[in-house]
Amino acid sequence: MTVEVSHNLLGAIGGVPRPETDVVVDARDVNKWFGRLHVLRDVCIQVRRQEVVVVIGPSGSGKTTFIRCVNHLEKIQSGRIFVNGHLIGYRETPAGGGLPIVGGLPIVNRLPVVGRRTNGSAGAMKLVEDKEKNIASQRQEIGMVFQRFNLFPHMTALENIIEAPIHVRGMAHDEAVAMGRALLERVGLAAKEKVYPNQLSGGQQQRIAIARALAMKPALMLFDEPTSALDPEMIGEVLEVMKELAREGMTMIVVSHEMGFAREVANRVVMMDDGVVVEEGTPDRVFSAPAQERTKAFLSKIL
Amino acid sequence: MIASRCLGLSTRRVALAGCLLLSAFFVAGCSGNYVVRPHYFFDSLFRPSPAIINGLGLTLGISVISQILGVVLGVFAAMGKMAKFRPFRYAANIYIWIFRGTPLLVQLAFFFFGLSAAGIFKWPEVVAGPVIILPEIIAGTIILGVNEGAYMAEIVRAGIMSVDPGQTEAAKSLGMTYGQTMSRIVLPQAARVIIPPLGNEFNNMLKTTSLLSLLSVFELYNTFSVAQGTSYASFELFGACAVWYLLLTTIWGFIQSYIERRLAKGTSGAPEAGPGLRARLFGQRPYVDAGSSGLGGH
Repeated sequence: MTVEVSHNLLGAIGGVPRPETDVVVDARDVNKWFGRLHVLRDVCIQVRRQEVVVVIGPSGSGKTTFIRCVNHLEKIQSGRIFVNGHLIGYRETPAGGGLPIVGGLPIVNRLPVVGRRTNGSAGAMKLVEDKEKNIASQRQEIGMVFQRFNLFPHMTALENIIEAPIHVRGMAHDEAVAMGRALLERVGLAAKEKVYPNQLSGGQQQRIAIARALAMKPALMLFDEPTSALDPEMIGEVLEVMKELAREGMTMIVVSHEMGFAREVANRVVMMDDGVVVEEGTPDRVFSAPAQERTKAFLSKIL
Repeated sequence: MIASRCLGLSTRRVALAGCLLLSAFFVAGCSGNYVVRPHYFFDSLFRPSPAIINGLGLTLGISVISQILGVVLGVFAAMGKMAKFRPFRYAANIYIWIFRGTPLLVQLAFFFFGLSAAGIFKWPEVVAGPVIILPEIIAGTIILGVNEGAYMAEIVRAGIMSVDPGQTEAAKSLGMTYGQTMSRIVLPQAARVIIPPLGNEFNNMLKTTSLLSLLSVFELYNTFSVAQGTSYASFELFGACAVWYLLLTTIWGFIQSYIERRLAKGTSGAPEAGPGLRARLFGQRPYVDAGSSGLGGH
């Protein structure tokens, strides 16, 4: 099945949003634990404006966890993630002056337990989770596409797309509908405007999910294994939309096993294993001449 | 489906109930010192006095308002129970613990008689245009609603938990706040799971309002109770009273099954639509068109 994806995908939302700085994502020494499991170990990843970074690695390597940290769907225990120069999910406060932190809120009548892991590394500043409202407004600038689409089943395709622009951005209804229709056309689903997600194929749902994320005019798009839940014949149509988006200059982080896509579109491939960035480089370099044993082993299994 | 259980109508059952009623009249008539006066029974059913109509209205009105209050409180209590902020969790848990752990009758007595006797709180009467709503009605409605909220909390919580966490994540990733995520994304989907048990709760509520007779609210039961006090036709009048309640819950059963069938339409993962009205009345299986269902993505 081939899909006509018209050019100028971003034209539907008024062009590429201009990030304030050249570095869009700046993750520094990010550490995350799930209980005792150390899932991200000192991860440093930078993504520049209009760059497409594909994160590869075996399952359980922390790649999905990492991009979920970028829009603060997951908490981090130390390190900093900046998007467009703004610290994501946290405020920095001077260490020592604050109260012990449990679950993001200061608990007054509670003595610090000896041996509790403290937020922040040995530095003088420590992280306090930001207010929910601030986190929500940071997320408006970061689009995310999920493995399982996560379309809202009680809304039609168009309603899915215009929901956030109207209720989060405060866009006028007519304007949002016009933009939503333009986006639906761009992803080749103009005819499906009034259709509910459960009547659409996986590939169609994922394309609408991409349109829904784009409707917020994000400066950065995160893709969490966008084609892993799709039947093979539907992968192409979704990748086509993503390629178009990349060509138009959207900044993207893509967790994917689609090596063909990485080769064609990615500026950089980041290989992760066991919570560590093993190596990174251009797709040609990483795929044809991997420097690390672990990369070689992974690629030999997947290619 | 759950609704069919509380509806429980079939021609056989109606006939059986009729026979039972007649034999009850017969037995009561034979027992000697009680004289059955059937017109008390039939008059209060077919020519209801204004007092009965008033009682019926009160029962319905109080039920609806208490149930709405219960749902609202239930939503807040459920969200409190799931809150990250501990004091909210404690407050919700204490509320549910107290109101599910004590009898409604005791709650009514304590919050109406107890509080005013101790001079802590006197329930006010409310003037709504030409109507004066008596303090016992205000108190009864609110206490019923607060009690109901404690039960609704668990139902609402189960509904919220039934929604895929991916929905919350998608809403969050679009920049929605917690309130927006709940009201626009999660609760509308939770409603599918909440509404069937909510229907049963309302069925219960219709009958539970009879406890307000303790506060001298002249709802349906109290009206009959007072009438019985002057005529001593307790057999006929309480029998008629039961028939009135049965009528209310039966009509509600029809409404409930209609709502459930509407709700089941066009939603993926929703429970199958319940049996139709005909199937419920006559116990026949509805014709299922295999081609019209089960379409969809995955």
